[in-house]
Amino acid sequence: MFKNEEMEINMGPQHPSTHGVLRLKLKLDGEVVTSCRPEIGYLHRGVEKICENKTFFQGQVWTDRMDYTSAVANNLGWAEAVEKLFGVTVPRRAQYVRTLLNEFNRISSHLLWLATHALDIGAMTVFLYAFREREAILDLFEAFCGARLTTTAFRIGGLREDLPPGFEKLARAFVARFPDCIDEYETLLTENRIWKKRTIGVGPLGAEDAIAMGVTGPVLRAAGVAYDIRKAFPYAAYAEMDFEVPTRPEADTYARYLVRMAELRQSHRIIQQCLDGLPEGPVMAKLPKVLKAEVNEIYHPTECPKGELGYYLVGEKGSANPYRFHVRGPSFINLQALPMMVKGSLVADVIATIGTLDVVLGEIDR
Amino acid sequence: MEEKTPGYVYDLKAAPNRQVVAPKSVPLPGLKSFLAEQAAAVAAEAAKWAKTQADYETAKAKAEADGKDAPKPPVRPVAKPDTNDMKFPRPEPATDADLLYLQSVLGDQVTEAFQQAGEITCQVDKEAVLAALTLLHDDPALGYEMLADETATHYPVAQDFAFSVVYHLTSLRRRKRLRLRILVPEGFEPESAVPVYPTANWMEREIWDMFGIRFRNHPDLTRILCPEGWEGHALRKEYPTLGLGQRDIDFREDRSGVLMRLAMEKAGNLGINLTPPKAE
Amino acid sequence: MGMMNQPSALEHILITTKVEKIINWSRASSVWPMTFGLACCAIEMMAAGAARFDFDRFGSGIFRASPRQSDLMIVAGTVTYKMAPIIKQLYDQMPEPKWVIALGSCATAGGPFDSYHTIQGVDKVVPVDVYIPGCPPRPESLIYGFMKLQDKIMASSMSDRYREIFEAVG
Repeated sequence: MFKNEEMEINMGPQHPSTHGVLRLKLKLDGEVVTSCRPEIGYLHRGVEKICENKTFFQGQVWTDRMDYTSAVANNLGWAEAVEKLFGVTVPRRAQYVRTLLNEFNRISSHLLWLATHALDIGAMTVFLYAFREREAILDLFEAFCGARLTTTAFRIGGLREDLPPGFEKLARAFVARFPDCIDEYETLLTENRIWKKRTIGVGPLGAEDAIAMGVTGPVLRAAGVAYDIRKAFPYAAYAEMDFEVPTRPEADTYARYLVRMAELRQSHRIIQQCLDGLPEGPVMAKLPKVLKAEVNEIYHPTECPKGELGYYLVGEKGSANPYRFHVRGPSFINLQALPMMVKGSLVADVIATIGTLDVVLGEIDR
Repeated sequence: MEEKTPGYVYDLKAAPNRQVVAPKSVPLPGLKSFLAEQAAAVAAEAAKWAKTQADYETAKAKAEADGKDAPKPPVRPVAKPDTNDMKFPRPEPATDADLLYLQSVLGDQVTEAFQQAGEITCQVDKEAVLAALTLLHDDPALGYEMLADETATHYPVAQDFAFSVVYHLTSLRRRKRLRLRILVPEGFEPESAVPVYPTANWMEREIWDMFGIRFRNHPDLTRILCPEGWEGHALRKEYPTLGLGQRDIDFREDRSGVLMRLAMEKAGNLGINLTPPKAE
Repeated sequence: MGMMNQPSALEHILITTKVEKIINWSRASSVWPMTFGLACCAIEMMAAGAARFDFDRFGSGIFRASPRQSDLMIVAGTVTYKMAPIIKQLYDQMPEPKWVIALGSCATAGGPFDSYHTIQGVDKVVPVDVYIPGCPPRPESLIYGFMKLQDKIMASSMSDRYREIFEAVG
């Protein structure tokens, strides 16, 4: 009389909680997910193909728009990759300013993650509070490079110009009030019964599975693996910075939340060190006007707020354009682990899991 | 119905930065090719210097015969030192322990091993890629647990191969990175890395989508970024950046169908008898 | 009509106007957008809805998830070939009256992405009422564009829509 069948539903590209145009084909047995197949490509813009026609200088513009929540981190990775391809030495002051802006970007990306993740789970107040701090950071970015979101902040060989006057005062004002803001978010969420019920045990991804799936970033660190590219393969000025890499052993959504909150505090620490120890000197290396490559291929990994962002560049002899421009997007690789993480959980947990993976579709689809 | 405007006609020669990127060389970094190039450059420079000297000798002899002053003796050109902060990284012979270990275990399946820009690269035979990956993953002396990235590049000008497939491996425990490379001719299907590194699933799907390289024993090799019925493989060098015209859609003619339906409904409700226009 | 010249007690408590103006005013004051962020402009749309720029004061703070309950589709981000039929389907699912704002350069004309998979502008898929250029446009630009849409709604007349339909058909 009653048929017991699996229901296949579509959590379509247009959905308030999928953080962009992600399509999930879910097979449900009642409310429990038995399998999940992500379909991507709804934001595939052909960035890799476009950048083969643009020079190394111009390519930065498209890197902002890939992981659009952390454009400065993308720019830093690209600038460092091109500098590695050409063997450019960047002056020390430029390295410090780059690190400073990268950490501000990490804070703003994590705040956006917190705002949207909490909003998906139902905590709407956190959205407004986090955006308040994010606006302060976007003001800083705008003071430095003129744009709030798609910054194109750096240049090959350093920075376009030095920090504007008044930047340090603005930065220090933010630094002074930020720890109280983190405490505010933690007061709202960390010991909250509803938050804990919605996130503890949801979306588990153990260390072995994570490494096998190539997952990096806070998701891997919440599984107990202390792997942070800023410590393992230091770049920019991170070798001179003193900070910790927070890890948690539980490997569920709550652990990832705690890891990212701890990373906010560590970023705050790094920013203070950068501001205090900013060296004097030039901010731009001496480079020829036209950068023509030799035959070389490099892979440069950096620690984006979402994981390992890698740029693979191949240079052709005498060409000002890259022969091959490939981006290893952390969200693309992290999303592969989603079916494993949601198997056997409820539909509402799928939404919490997507939020905790912190995927950005621009980076997945490029 | 008004007549349809003709579809876009792509003048691929008009706008150079929208056309097909037709490379003229094979930028595949390697130690052997680099050393060969160096040797050729040194030989060419030596030949040019010898020719300049010979020309000078003949000119001097001619001047002495004519009774004029001898011409200026040639000066060997010295390369001007670069005053900028750029020092291009060159390939160096393999001294790293991992590369030497790989060469000793895999023997002549390793066709190239070199270091450049602080990275170590190992090129193996295309048939041996699964063996190399298994060795790199399982051997405790190497221990490359994570596949960071797998991608490909198209080299249309090359003679023996058409693509290079590159694997970037990371050893978390030893804080080390290695690049494994294979050269694949058109139509060859390399072994999939999914049994050893499950993360290669989507990476190989993307390579299939963008380049058309199939992988043997891949669990689900379908297009991932472009839609299912897409023609062509986008990142090949002969595929134009603007595409083959698939993006030129216009739903607007469909829209009048919707409006017509709305209009018929409204007209019906108001009691007016509208005859639909003749379908073309 | 004679009442207009002599102020009466009633004028202090009555407003006389046309039905059309009332309807336009009510439509313009509570335009409910649909959550349709595609790419980077979505972040600026969220920032416009957040505390500093506060989209809610225009009566359109409620972003509806379902197209069946929304009036306005703010296409924020790049439209790709794979996504275009879905945008069309969502537009068809919205009930009349409906408006579309193309937010950002990508939705206006393809933006910096002139490639094989990017539709050069969402107006190839749905009719657009207001174009807001920028990459991404600041939240103030979105608010300005939205106010222009409100002006358009206030100036529109109920017979315009049906005149368009009848003209297109016959």
